[in-house]
Amino acid sequence: MSHAEATAAPDAAEAPTSRTTAAGPEVREASEASEAPTRRRGAFGRLLRSELGLVLGRRRNQLLLALLASVPILLGIVLAIVSDSAYAGQGPGFIDRIGGNGLFLVVTSLFLCTPFLLPLVTSIAAGDAIAGEAGGGTLRYLLTVPVRRGTLLVAKALAAMTFMLVAVALVTAAALLAGGLLFGFDDLTLLSGQTIPLTDGVLRMLGVAGYVAMSLTGLVAVGLFFSTLAEVPVGVMAATVVVAIVSTVLDSLPQLSAIHPFLLTHHWFDFAEFLRFEVSWSLLGQGLALQAAWVAIFGSLAWARFTTADITS
Amino acid sequence: MKNKRLRWAVPAATAVAVGTAFAIPALATASADELPETTPADLLAAVAQAEPTAMSGTAVYTARLGLPELPAEMTGGADPLNLLSGSSTIRVWTDGAERSRVSLLGTTSEYSAVVDGPEAWTYSSAKNAVVHVSLDDAATAQLDAAKADAQARADAVDPASIPTPEALAEQVLAFASMTSEVTLDDNVVVAGRDAYQLEITPLTDDTLVDRIVVAFDGETYVPLSYQAWSSMDTSAPALEVAFTDVSMDAPSDAALAFSTPDGATVEEKVVTGEDLAAATAPAEGTEGDVPVLPEDFDPSTLDPSALTPGAGFLPEGTSISGFGWATVVEQSGVDVAGLLSGDVDADAADLPASPWAGRPAEDLAEEFRGSAADGGFSLDATALYDQLTTPVEGGRLFTSALLSALVTDDGRVFVGSVPTDTLLAAAGLA
Amino acid sequence: MSSTLTERDHDGVPTTGGDAVVRTRGLTKKFRSGQVAVDGIDLEVPRGAVYGFLGPNGSGKTTTIRMLLGLVQPTSGEALVLGGAMPRSAVAVLPRVGALVEGPAFQPYLTGRRNLDRLDAVDMTADPRTSKARIGAALERVGLSAAAAKPYRNYSLGMKQRLGLAAALLRPRDLLILDEPTNGLDPQGTREVRHLIRELAEDGASVLVSSHLLAEIDQVCTHVGVMSRGKLLVQGERDVVTSGGRQSGERVVITTLRDHVDGARRVLARLAGVDPSSASEAASVEDADHLGDGAVTVTATLGGASLSDVAPALVAADVLVLGIGTDRPSLEDVFVELTGEGFDVAR
Ligand SMILES: Nc1ncnc2c1ncn2[C@@H]1O[C@H](COP(=O)(O)OP(=O)(O)OP(=O)(O)O)[C@@H](O)[C@H]1O
Ligand SMILES: [Mg+2]
Repeated sequence: MSHAEATAAPDAAEAPTSRTTAAGPEVREASEASEAPTRRRGAFGRLLRSELGLVLGRRRNQLLLALLASVPILLGIVLAIVSDSAYAGQGPGFIDRIGGNGLFLVVTSLFLCTPFLLPLVTSIAAGDAIAGEAGGGTLRYLLTVPVRRGTLLVAKALAAMTFMLVAVALVTAAALLAGGLLFGFDDLTLLSGQTIPLTDGVLRMLGVAGYVAMSLTGLVAVGLFFSTLAEVPVGVMAATVVVAIVSTVLDSLPQLSAIHPFLLTHHWFDFAEFLRFEVSWSLLGQGLALQAAWVAIFGSLAWARFTTADITS
Repeated sequence: MKNKRLRWAVPAATAVAVGTAFAIPALATASADELPETTPADLLAAVAQAEPTAMSGTAVYTARLGLPELPAEMTGGADPLNLLSGSSTIRVWTDGAERSRVSLLGTTSEYSAVVDGPEAWTYSSAKNAVVHVSLDDAATAQLDAAKADAQARADAVDPASIPTPEALAEQVLAFASMTSEVTLDDNVVVAGRDAYQLEITPLTDDTLVDRIVVAFDGETYVPLSYQAWSSMDTSAPALEVAFTDVSMDAPSDAALAFSTPDGATVEEKVVTGEDLAAATAPAEGTEGDVPVLPEDFDPSTLDPSALTPGAGFLPEGTSISGFGWATVVEQSGVDVAGLLSGDVDADAADLPASPWAGRPAEDLAEEFRGSAADGGFSLDATALYDQLTTPVEGGRLFTSALLSALVTDDGRVFVGSVPTDTLLAAAGLA
Repeated sequence: MSSTLTERDHDGVPTTGGDAVVRTRGLTKKFRSGQVAVDGIDLEVPRGAVYGFLGPNGSGKTTTIRMLLGLVQPTSGEALVLGGAMPRSAVAVLPRVGALVEGPAFQPYLTGRRNLDRLDAVDMTADPRTSKARIGAALERVGLSAAAAKPYRNYSLGMKQRLGLAAALLRPRDLLILDEPTNGLDPQGTREVRHLIRELAEDGASVLVSSHLLAEIDQVCTHVGVMSRGKLLVQGERDVVTSGGRQSGERVVITTLRDHVDGARRVLARLAGVDPSSASEAASVEDADHLGDGAVTVTATLGGASLSDVAPALVAADVLVLGIGTDRPSLEDVFVELTGEGFDVAR
């Protein structure tokens, strides 16, 4: 639909002889001026801002972000209290390094949030995007405003991505803050035993955060596609999280090694590259290319579905 | 309606495009015809002659030995035990001479081994532990002396009597042809580089080894991949190491250097002069010149049994039966139980609570968790031994795609690349 | 595609000129469940009309409206809205169409004003500079200014309905498509909506309004269409539809005293051109004691005579006239007659 719309404009060229001015006489002139069916410059920006305000302004979402940001803080406090005894040698390989260098709180937090919490946040944003609007009935009003379905889908996708990015950024920032305050920063000892200066260490932590965020883009696309199929956002959230979990499980079965390179979560933990002596950009590139592939396929599926679907909610 | 179907064609086309984009790099490795023709002998000569090359790269190691898998998540981080089974990624840096670093990569961990001349370190990021191997003064002196001695002997040899690499390669080939067929396979591309492939196929059917395939870089003759195929599984190599990414540039000094990280535990292992003497003492009967085969050497006239070393050549308690690929080594007077409860346990990897609950291998991990006195978990060597071996009448049998071993209850150990029946027969248990 | 439709001769479909704001041809929707919700209807809403879109529950009104708004893809047939083929021209046409579909729906945690602001932001052609003024005016117009800062979740049913109307009025519209706009409104609200529709129509907008409150529709609409089981049973000018197409003239109702009944009958029969001897059949008489002692009403069909002739003629004949008015057959009567008495939904 959305593609044909622009070319179809001449059909509607039959100009009305009279119009009502619903908004009252005081805005009449301005309204008349706004009636050119041309798209205004910056209109998409306005739409996007509005969508972002919707996603980030929602109390439930803010709570979710706060909860997520509390993960590194709580982890830091627990580690500061029990220090070196109980946790030594447990959890991810670097959890017992946090006491010596707060920078490790960033990787540890992202490591702990990557398998479940971040996918959960991502899928909540995706579920709200289309299914939430459909379930609440607001989708029919958005589309009769009108707005091209493709345009709305892109705005929704960008808003969901932004929400995910904000989540990752918050975890990172909270971890940096808590790590710095509780344990202080030091030169970063890499997994290979070599040590790099603090500034490089901080940059690498930002690299980890950036890679984790990029790794979740495929999941946003999958969630968005599910979102166009359903009217119950909770169902979409559950299905999206399940995709991430199933992918992780499949990735751990050696019998399926043939399909491992194509699994959504296969490269998720490659962020550890940033802790190796030589960061293998080709490996990280594979991870990003994989995400791009998932985004392309599921993004286009979402587009095909959303632009042809009957809105009966 | 037509419009609707067109729209669904877009994701379909996207999927095809993405699939193609992912397939192209895979197809690109399919053929390599750029290299000049060669023969097995020429190739071996070139490999022997090649200068040591500085290089770095990433290799994937895959073992399909039919052993239980111990991924890095289960051994608490990258650990040499991961090499028993499954795929592991390895990074290598070497200056081609004295210094090199090898890293075994875990998901979020690394196990590194660094060699710098006579010194060596291993570092496990998961345990934050360093093992430092060094020589004491006596050992260093001994090594230097041995080097000087070798140099002196080489200088003393009449250059004319040293066989050319080509001649040496011919002889090696001739020798190998008693047991194996050595051929050239199609050239391949490994890690984006054209490579020759040498294939070694055992002549006997009495071995588990079906064939060995080694790929040598067409330019530097560095081995780029190694495959050992088992006769038990012809679909995939039982053991495979192949570079996926190679650079022939000299690695930076930082890559090859080792400094102990802050807070790491360090275990010093000093090799003493006596250790070295025991390890390098030339066995009886082998002392002498570099073995040079006579000009008129003809393997077909050779009695294979003559090649089996006599009792005097071997250490106490060791004997050998079979020939070539089907050789079985027997060692008597081994106290397996003692070994398991002693040294091995000290080295056992820690097994922390796995974040990967529910994995199929979880049960296995559960079994390995001993009740170490310090309250932590440790890999129980006895459990691992029990897991890897199966009981037979009169002993325990270890079976894998390439190697079999038999430990009898009376303390004898039989090892060989042969079917287990052969070992049982050798032990008189069949 | 659109030209063939507009130029086509609509036999059997009454039209008011060739100028229609909504015109469909064989519009059909068969849902994937197999349900044929709309079955080949030829809808025609003339420009300037207030079109009452009627039908029992489940007859297909909302589904038709969804197709007109490009939300649902027709299975077959064509729909032209303001000359644009739907759903192809949705983006070009819908800015001039205000719509309320199956009740209001907004984000519950946003205030009324923020909700309207959001809808305006979605509009790629709306002027952000006038947005505030337009939203204020729209809220004012539906009497919601006082509650504009409340979250939508805390609105009453009627307030929600009003906000839905405000959204439909965010911009000047040529066509309003209102699906049950008075659902849940109090009597004042219902009256307001009625006024609103009249006002909009006077300003030149066309209105397609579906409702189950037939009395409401009856008071505002100029045209009606009645649907049942997915089919459009009848459509056209309201009076034509209610008189069953007979066009036999208006019915006049005279209130007089019992003593004057016969005189009134005679006058009415004469005016209608009926034989005075059969005057008692031409006019029905009913007691109307609630209007005063001995009051009765006399109802008769006027035939060719004009209503303005009635009063002078009665006065001339010395008939006491307490009241004079017209009686149209009620829409409800026609509706029930067309769609049946049954209470159960048909499908
Ligand atoms: N998404 C759908 N899938 C299948 N059938 C549907 C769907 N939506 C509506 N229907 C069916 O189509 C028919 C017409 O429904 P519609 O909502 O158009 O009726 P309506 O005239 O608006 O009724 P009401 O007066 O109750 O609002 C009903 O029988 C309904 O069950
Ligand atoms: Mg309805």
